[in-house]
Amino acid sequence: MGESLLIIAYLAASVLFILSLRGLSSQATAARGNAYGIVGMAAAILATAWAASGSGYVLLALAVGGGAAVGAVMAARVAMTSMPELVAMLHSFVGLAAVLVGLASYMGESGHEGAARSIFLVEVFLDVFIGAITFTGSLVAFGKLKGILSGRALLLPGRHLLNLALLGLALAMLVPYLSADGTSGLIPLLVCVGLAGLLGVHLVMAIGGADMPVVVSMLNSYSGWTAAAAGFMLGNDLLIITGALVGSSGAILSIIMCRAMNRSIISVMLGGFGQTSSKPSTSGPRADTPTETREVSVRDTAQKLLAARRVVIVPGYGMAVARAQHAIFQITELLRERRVDVAFAIHPVAGRLPGHMNVLLAEAAVPYDIVFEMDEVQDEFARTDVALVVGANDIVNPAAETDPESPIWGMPVIHVWEARETIICKRSRASGYAGVDNPLFYHERTAMLFGDALEVMEAVVQELRNP
Amino acid sequence: MKLGVPREVHPGERRVAATPDSVRQLVGMGFEVAIESGAGLGARFSDADYAAAGAQIEADPERIWAGSDLVLKVREPEGHPELGRHEAELLRAGGRLISFIWPATQVDLVERLRSRRATVIAMDQVPRITRAQSMDALSSMANIAGYRAVVEAASRFGRFFTGQITAAGKLAPARVLVIGAGVAGLQAIATARAMGAVVRAFDTRPAVREQVQSLGASCLEVPLVEDGEGKGGYAKEMSAAFIEAEMALFRAEAPELDVVITTALVPGKKAPLLWTRDMVEAMRPGSVVVDLAAEQGGNCELTQAGEVIEHAGVQVVGYTDLVSRAATTASQLYAQNIVNLVELLGDASQFRVDLTDEIVRGATVLHEGEVLWPPPARPTPVAPAAVPKSPEPAAAAPTAPPSPPSKVVAAPRAGRGWLVALCLAAVWVGLRAYADAIPASPALTQFLQHLTVFVLACFVGWQVIWSVTAALHTPLMSVTNAISGIIILGGMLHVSGELGSADTLLGAAAVFFAAINVAGGFLVTQRMLRMFRR
Repeated sequence: MGESLLIIAYLAASVLFILSLRGLSSQATAARGNAYGIVGMAAAILATAWAASGSGYVLLALAVGGGAAVGAVMAARVAMTSMPELVAMLHSFVGLAAVLVGLASYMGESGHEGAARSIFLVEVFLDVFIGAITFTGSLVAFGKLKGILSGRALLLPGRHLLNLALLGLALAMLVPYLSADGTSGLIPLLVCVGLAGLLGVHLVMAIGGADMPVVVSMLNSYSGWTAAAAGFMLGNDLLIITGALVGSSGAILSIIMCRAMNRSIISVMLGGFGQTSSKPSTSGPRADTPTETREVSVRDTAQKLLAARRVVIVPGYGMAVARAQHAIFQITELLRERRVDVAFAIHPVAGRLPGHMNVLLAEAAVPYDIVFEMDEVQDEFARTDVALVVGANDIVNPAAETDPESPIWGMPVIHVWEARETIICKRSRASGYAGVDNPLFYHERTAMLFGDALEVMEAVVQELRNP
Repeated sequence: MKLGVPREVHPGERRVAATPDSVRQLVGMGFEVAIESGAGLGARFSDADYAAAGAQIEADPERIWAGSDLVLKVREPEGHPELGRHEAELLRAGGRLISFIWPATQVDLVERLRSRRATVIAMDQVPRITRAQSMDALSSMANIAGYRAVVEAASRFGRFFTGQITAAGKLAPARVLVIGAGVAGLQAIATARAMGAVVRAFDTRPAVREQVQSLGASCLEVPLVEDGEGKGGYAKEMSAAFIEAEMALFRAEAPELDVVITTALVPGKKAPLLWTRDMVEAMRPGSVVVDLAAEQGGNCELTQAGEVIEHAGVQVVGYTDLVSRAATTASQLYAQNIVNLVELLGDASQFRVDLTDEIVRGATVLHEGEVLWPPPARPTPVAPAAVPKSPEPAAAAPTAPPSPPSKVVAAPRAGRGWLVALCLAAVWVGLRAYADAIPASPALTQFLQHLTVFVLACFVGWQVIWSVTAALHTPLMSVTNAISGIIILGGMLHVSGELGSADTLLGAAAVFFAAINVAGGFLVTQRMLRMFRR
């Protein structure tokens, strides 16, 4: 009776999780999708708690309640600009939980014989291995996103060898671990956890800041595979299904992000994007390119926006950092009231998280039907009067299409330069995360609006209100 | 040489084939122009205006018809209600006529004119080539019809077209769908856009996509690849699969639309049925459908030619005189098309119907009593983009003549999905075979069962996630994060053990961390999703 009820609950939860992901395919159904997820999770947890006949209910309630409370507070407090950090942090918890579950399974192991024991042991080993990589990798990603660690790629000499060595050593731990009786293989298992942890740290340290969207989605994927590995270990189909869903989800996101940067997933994982290309930024623009930029005042910017019939706003990470999205929303509303057609063009890798810009704009109440993906508005710049770039750099760099030597050569970029005029709001002349100089700044139809995105955008709002 | 402009006799027709301005140009070319008294009244041109431009005002229509070397007209000749005779018979024997003729359907008229040994140039047969654009009356009229369709729709629609933010609240913009992005469709798009509506367009020809986008509208697309570019820039017949997909697309869109303007015409044929009764019923009450093909049977199932009907609260406008409702502009453009054609034929001293000229040859239906229609076929345009000015109508035409089998290409993504599925299936079969080959081991069997589940789940995930819109990638990530907190189950299974034992404590810690994930992930997703609004 209990067993079959559990199976039904797990089946229901699996279906609900699939529906949940399916629901996220469009804004209209997304909220329902999330609700499906919550119901599915509640069903799974309640059914498991009910089926686990034991004395641990108090401890269980304490752990669940405590964790949920912490999670709720984090979710309620987090600023939308800090979403990448939160997501990275949550990934690390999955990894940590997986390691703990793996160790607990090992410690409480009983009843497996012969081949079954070997399979079980390998499953535990894999679970803690992936879990540990996810845990430390996510922590490093968190540190980088938070700014605690440098966003630059850390490139140790012979880093590929180092990775291989770590991997080899960790795998070598299998030998003493498998041959040990009882729970005496704990030491090699812990060593493996440590080595995997180091590997996670090193892998993510070597990846530059501009590749963060890929890293975060990759860790998302890992957290899924971790759960799936735990499912194998515990013989639990729901864990396997859910882990596989999450794992594919993260993998697909990584692929999408890589495509958006025209890079292979391998090269991102091997790292070094932000570092190898530092030469152009230190040597400045090349001799054959003009070096004069044209500056524009806040007042003139407002005038140009008001005179335009169509404005396309291209936000970048700079907007997120300055938290300028609310000011930009006000600009949008003021312009739309005055019959200016305003659209947003979002590059797939703008920001530090897939879809980051969309979330920020949604937070500021920008209607989602004027927010477009790059490909949707790419052809429309020719009839755009003003392209307003806020805190973006690499994603609007024409060198990606014109200069085969540029490190971002081949990456799809937004064609703002085709607009009648491009206004770039930027803190300074410095290059973007990729450390590449941007010829757009010296383009004859480009005007630079220097200053902190928030201050400048708020000033523009004032100008628009009292022209 | 004398040109005559009779008054149009068709009921409700307000256009006229000459305006004071065009008369002035014709007189300048050396022609004598006579115009029937009151011919311009419908288009707000008085006899005095014409007289001032140099025309002779003639009260008797018979004298206009019989006394002119060339008669200029808008509508094809028909029975004259006051004289009780057919206009074709008023034309003098061996006379010349320029007007709309529609020879494909007006067989009887062509026969009547042939018996008069007439020379007839049809404005509707002017070839749609670049050089003939200034004489292309169909485009002129389509342009007006497209404009007028939006005006009619707007005047019948109980809301604004434009979105507005007022002190009394926000007004949502009207959502308009234009089917067929020919001249009429493009003008309808531009007009509706100018009025502030959110406009989408549908057309079977990929070449017009850019034109649609350049007007600020977006394209509805059928998820099949098929080129609807046919002969002479018209749309051709589409495959059954395409039409089905197209109808499904319309059906899905219908509830979202406030105004639908259909412009799909197939020359000389019944208009294709594109907007069915159930689509009308799916629209919100107060919505408006304007059917520009009403005269040719209508694109909308409910259209009544010449009338406005209301069905389930939706008004279906089937006016056949939309162009005439803008009679002044229509006359001005039509008269100028005629002037340009006459100029091609030659001024008064050297006027002649030169059949070696491609435009003249194409438009001439009768030459001194000899039937020259249809003209020899012209090749299809080489590049779709080179079509002079995207001509009239387009959309699937189920009744159109047979055309070469069309290529239907399934979306490439489906192909990749199958490839992945095949690979996974191969792996699974391989493992299964391996398991069967060795002595039955319960542990291995169990493992394989888990693997089956795993592979299937990967596949499902792969299929589902691709459909997630890019704007929702962050919520997707946080929700998958919450879901991967399912690892909490692993912890829970261990907590049930002996209190204080290592695995219980480890399990409890795992539960704690996973619970953070579950609660945090779902709540933050909810918070984010609540922000997404239109």
